[in-house]
Amino acid sequence: MGYSFPEEVLEHVLSFIDSDSDRNSVSLVCKSWHDIERWCRRRLFVGNCYAVSPAIAIRRFPELRSVSLKGKPHFADFNLVPHEWGGYAYPWIAAFAKAYPWLEELRLKRMVVSDEALELIAKKFKNFRVLVMYSCEGFSTDGLATIAANCRNLKELDLSESEVDDVSGNWLSQFPDSYTSLESLNITSLSSEIRFTALERLVGRCPNLKTLKLSHSVPLDLLPNLLQKAPQLVELGSGLHTKEVHPDLYSKLAGAFSGCKGLKRLCGLRDVVPSYLPTLYPICFGLTSLNLSDAPIQCPELIKLVSQCQNLQRLWVLDYIEDTGLIALAESCKDLRELRVFPSDPFGQEPNVSLTEQGLVSVSAGCPKLHSVLYFCRRMSNVALSTIARNRPNLTRFRLCIIERFRPDYITQEPLDVGFGAIVEHCKDLKRLSLSGLLTDRVFEYIGSHGKKLEMLSLAFAGDSDLGLHHVLSGCKSLRKLEIRDCPFGDKALLANAAKLETMRSLWMSACQVSYRACKLLGQKMPRLNVEVIAEQGHPDSSPDEYPVEKLYIYRTVSGPRSDMPSFVWTMDKNSALRSS
Amino acid sequence: MISGRSNKKRGFIEAFELPPQTLPLLLWNDHPNDDDDDDDRKGVENSSFIAKKNDDGYCIVGWPPIKFRRKKICSHNRDDNDRTVLHNGSARAGVGGGVNPNSKYVKVKMVGVGIARKIDLSRHHSYQTLTNTLINMFGKCQQDAQSFKLAYQDREGDWLLAGDVPWRTFIQSVERLKILRIGG
Repeated sequence: MGYSFPEEVLEHVLSFIDSDSDRNSVSLVCKSWHDIERWCRRRLFVGNCYAVSPAIAIRRFPELRSVSLKGKPHFADFNLVPHEWGGYAYPWIAAFAKAYPWLEELRLKRMVVSDEALELIAKKFKNFRVLVMYSCEGFSTDGLATIAANCRNLKELDLSESEVDDVSGNWLSQFPDSYTSLESLNITSLSSEIRFTALERLVGRCPNLKTLKLSHSVPLDLLPNLLQKAPQLVELGSGLHTKEVHPDLYSKLAGAFSGCKGLKRLCGLRDVVPSYLPTLYPICFGLTSLNLSDAPIQCPELIKLVSQCQNLQRLWVLDYIEDTGLIALAESCKDLRELRVFPSDPFGQEPNVSLTEQGLVSVSAGCPKLHSVLYFCRRMSNVALSTIARNRPNLTRFRLCIIERFRPDYITQEPLDVGFGAIVEHCKDLKRLSLSGLLTDRVFEYIGSHGKKLEMLSLAFAGDSDLGLHHVLSGCKSLRKLEIRDCPFGDKALLANAAKLETMRSLWMSACQVSYRACKLLGQKMPRLNVEVIAEQGHPDSSPDEYPVEKLYIYRTVSGPRSDMPSFVWTMDKNSALRSS
Repeated sequence: MISGRSNKKRGFIEAFELPPQTLPLLLWNDHPNDDDDDDDRKGVENSSFIAKKNDDGYCIVGWPPIKFRRKKICSHNRDDNDRTVLHNGSARAGVGGGVNPNSKYVKVKMVGVGIARKIDLSRHHSYQTLTNTLINMFGKCQQDAQSFKLAYQDREGDWLLAGDVPWRTFIQSVERLKILRIGG
């Protein structure tokens, strides 16, 4: 056809389109666009590694350079997913080793990565540049040694929150002397002593190093030298702990920090000596992100620190900050966009700090750009939640954890339905919500009617009946991930909204009241869902069908049941027999 | 088989009595006796929901929802609250007790669990906090703690029951830990 669009032009145009959803739309226009798009797609994001098989992904996208994979469900972070559930990276990496010799980036989250998998990465991808393993496990420092020794072009190595079998700290010395391309290193989760001289030399010879997040085993004495070798750092994570307070060390550290004129993000500070905090003051003004959630710094020092960070956009902190600290934050940090307050004593029966709902209300009033909140506290009221909602209709993420379960509004003793209702009603762009406190089905009615942009919802110890779940599944049009624990939701709402499940990434339900029968029925009738029943106490066949299952994980997939399930997980498929009761 | 939901919202009752065209899963329409009455399920114990719906939050697995790594820091802070006194120029380090340069990681295996974990013993000062943390680490709840016992391997390679010797002695000689079931 004379007027058909030349492929090369389309490819060039597409090279400017990064967003996955835009590329997906492009591929639906017509067959030739689908074909052109798939050949020039370079990045792939797989939100659930069991939703698609490596073979299918490779067949569709033959020229990928960057892949992100997520494995275990989010509740694995809280020990709710049994340890050997799955999420193995090896099959993916082995398939990629054959199909994508030019693969450059792998980002894995909540996956099990073995040393063998790391060895494949090290040996098979000649141009490998970025390895991020967030909250992963299954590998040791031996695997890291292979990566260090072989990946000549590695730019980024990030092990945040991963559990590493820390055999020895020598792996760092495996980076050859000729290796200078490191730009980002995050080894905070490692515990063994690393060779400090190796670290110093590595830092010294990598001029593009921008992010350095160290494990707490790196002592304070070493820090000034490291900082002097890397004054170009943008992000630093360090312990700042020491056994003794030397005046000498203090001035060296102060000097080193002042030399880091481009430092924007700071984290770590575990076991920091408060008297060393003033060494940070010169860089506070430039900081946009401060993560003090590991730092047991008390309120007065926190206030002094935070009030100098007028350009702060993100603050993660322990509840030692208290209401007074949050008020100071609200006054000083007008550019704040994200706040997370973690509990210093989550298992204590009594509050150990003076942090209440007032702190959050102050920040919501004083920080106009605040859109993301994670807040642990011990009391809340409907009026506070409504105030927060009215103050901050621009909230996109709101996660509230009232530490004691079933806590009502502390003023009226009513459930917190109305308060959370105000949040969903006023915050029209809310994408993520976690609830806590005493909640009835009514809150779900509000969520179902107003939460139209809600993508992820986390529920625990909430609701009265199936009506609650029905409101959510039938009302939340954009829902992708739903995770529920200990709620009285059963078969009816789930079965009545079965088709909804195919429009979502996944549903997790544990300690609810979904019967084995309902699971089998879902598995039988919905071939594009994997309905996985997790039963550590024994095969669900050994109890009557109407008994509730312990844990249930349902996700859509184009690859059918997975083949790597442990002995306590069963996929309900079309052969699941329904026994008569 | 995506449900073609029309804009007309169906009432809840309607949705349950009449199976919509696209949802042939509402089998209870064929079993009119299976109505809202869940009596035959009330007797069923569904572990954490019914058993623990009361006071003590500590014994619930995964509640409050904080990541395991953070829990280690919190139990450490709690233990040291009495000892954290910072004098200007004193040798004491930080609120945390400054024990990091002397961290002592040992492997812990739990019977029946394939993957071993590691725990920093220097962050603990008593058997109680150690066992509390271990129980949490392996995803069990405090009530279950009674059905387990802790054993350790000392420098000579012998396996002994933890708790018999003073904490200080234990700390100096422990090389690895194992969690066993009582009676097994």
